[in-house]
Amino acid sequence: MPYITVRDLAFKYGTETVLTNISFDIYAGDFMILTGENGAAKSTLLRNILGLLKPTQGTVTIAKLNNQNKPLTLGYVPQQVASFNVGFPSTVYELVQSGRFQNGRWYKRLSQVDKQHIKSALLAVGMWDMRHKKIGDLSGGQKQRISIARTFATDADVYVLDEPTTGMDKASREAFYQLLKHSCTYHKKAVLMVTHDYHDLQNYANRHITLTRKEGTPWRCFSMDSCKELS
Amino acid sequence: MEMFFHGFMQRAFLASFSISIIAPILGLLLILRRQSLMADTLSHVSLAGVALGLLLGVNPTWTNILVVIILAIILEYLRTIYRSYSELSVALLMSAGMAIALFLMSLNQAKTSVNITQFLFGSIVTISQEQLILLVGLSIIIALLYVFFRKPLYVLTFDEDTAFTAGLPIKRMSILFNVLTGITIAVSMPIVGALLVSAIIILPAAIALRISHHFNGVILIGMVIAISGMTSGLILSYQFSTPPGASITLVFIAIFSLTLLFRTFLNIRKNRKTVV
Repeated sequence: MPYITVRDLAFKYGTETVLTNISFDIYAGDFMILTGENGAAKSTLLRNILGLLKPTQGTVTIAKLNNQNKPLTLGYVPQQVASFNVGFPSTVYELVQSGRFQNGRWYKRLSQVDKQHIKSALLAVGMWDMRHKKIGDLSGGQKQRISIARTFATDADVYVLDEPTTGMDKASREAFYQLLKHSCTYHKKAVLMVTHDYHDLQNYANRHITLTRKEGTPWRCFSMDSCKELS
Repeated sequence: MEMFFHGFMQRAFLASFSISIIAPILGLLLILRRQSLMADTLSHVSLAGVALGLLLGVNPTWTNILVVIILAIILEYLRTIYRSYSELSVALLMSAGMAIALFLMSLNQAKTSVNITQFLFGSIVTISQEQLILLVGLSIIIALLYVFFRKPLYVLTFDEDTAFTAGLPIKRMSILFNVLTGITIAVSMPIVGALLVSAIIILPAAIALRISHHFNGVILIGMVIAISGMTSGLILSYQFSTPPGASITLVFIAIFSLTLLFRTFLNIRKNRKTVV
């Protein structure tokens, strides 16, 4: 059973249709990338999937259980996370730690397993040494990394990532893609990622959707080509 | 020392202690959610609640609470509509609240003039036993809610979209937060006054934000600042017969200036050390 099922999704901002005819499934172990030109409503599609926006037509179904019959969980890295509130009173560690609270763990004390997850997430994005720093003192790229670390710390079943590598250098990006591929292949996580980095990602992802404008449709209306399988 | 033996002063100190527990919690959340002006809006609309109570001949505290609860819900609705420029809803309701207050007061001018002044500037002597019980109860509820929900609140104030994805009922939490802020303003207004109640809620957290970079640290330091600022302000108000709201706000501004000076001094020292 797919983790996420999107059927005939359409979305309008006011009277203007920006998305139409979107249908695809995401299964455990999928590393799916979503591309399209600037303004192709990629983030809008993600927000529809997450329930932050309501589709004007069609459906988004999120499975209740993961493949181990536990409640399915989502982790989300929004676009332009680097613009987050710089005055927010928190250290890097506290922010990443907050990823462990969710999924029914709001009132539990952090266990050794939780602490191990937090450490692994910070090490994975190369921010362990900066864990005591105030988040407002970080650069844009570092903020992006801790936001990714926070999402990794949730240990969610599905990671929805909106251009998460903005501000990262090439080496960090490739290490990050490798990590996502590993999570999908060996831990059966599912990834849906908006990106402009198609050429590098085709070596890591296994499925690809592009949003394009079709002939005869309104100028800002995008729909998808068929979902391509990558090697 | 004699002031501590007066019943009204004892009530005022107890009330200010209760406000000191609530203010940094609400203040920090208001600042981080970029809703600092919401407290001002609620206090302006509170006046309309008071004017309505006086006009109807009902206890103004209760009409006030009712009006701010309704407004707090409307504010949350407008905030979601005007997501990118939420200050628009604040500006709109602030003027509407003030206009309604002035309109209702003019309908009942003879009776209201004295009472409204007390609500505008605050008064130590106006706090009744009933208001004190309400305030103490409210501070216990808000403190308990914070203790139990501090982790969800941390995520909610950091980023609402992330909080939603994490499964938090963000709409209900926001409405509850607005309602509690509204009730706090309505109940604190007779002591500190409508014009400065928002400053008293915001300033302790604003000062503490410059001292601590931990979420809980800001709230705890904010409570210490609030208790010292409000106690000193009340003493000043008693000694010099000045309005309590103004006296407390001035003490907070003095503390804010001192922390600013101290920070600047520390930065200069740090820079000098780096150069050497």
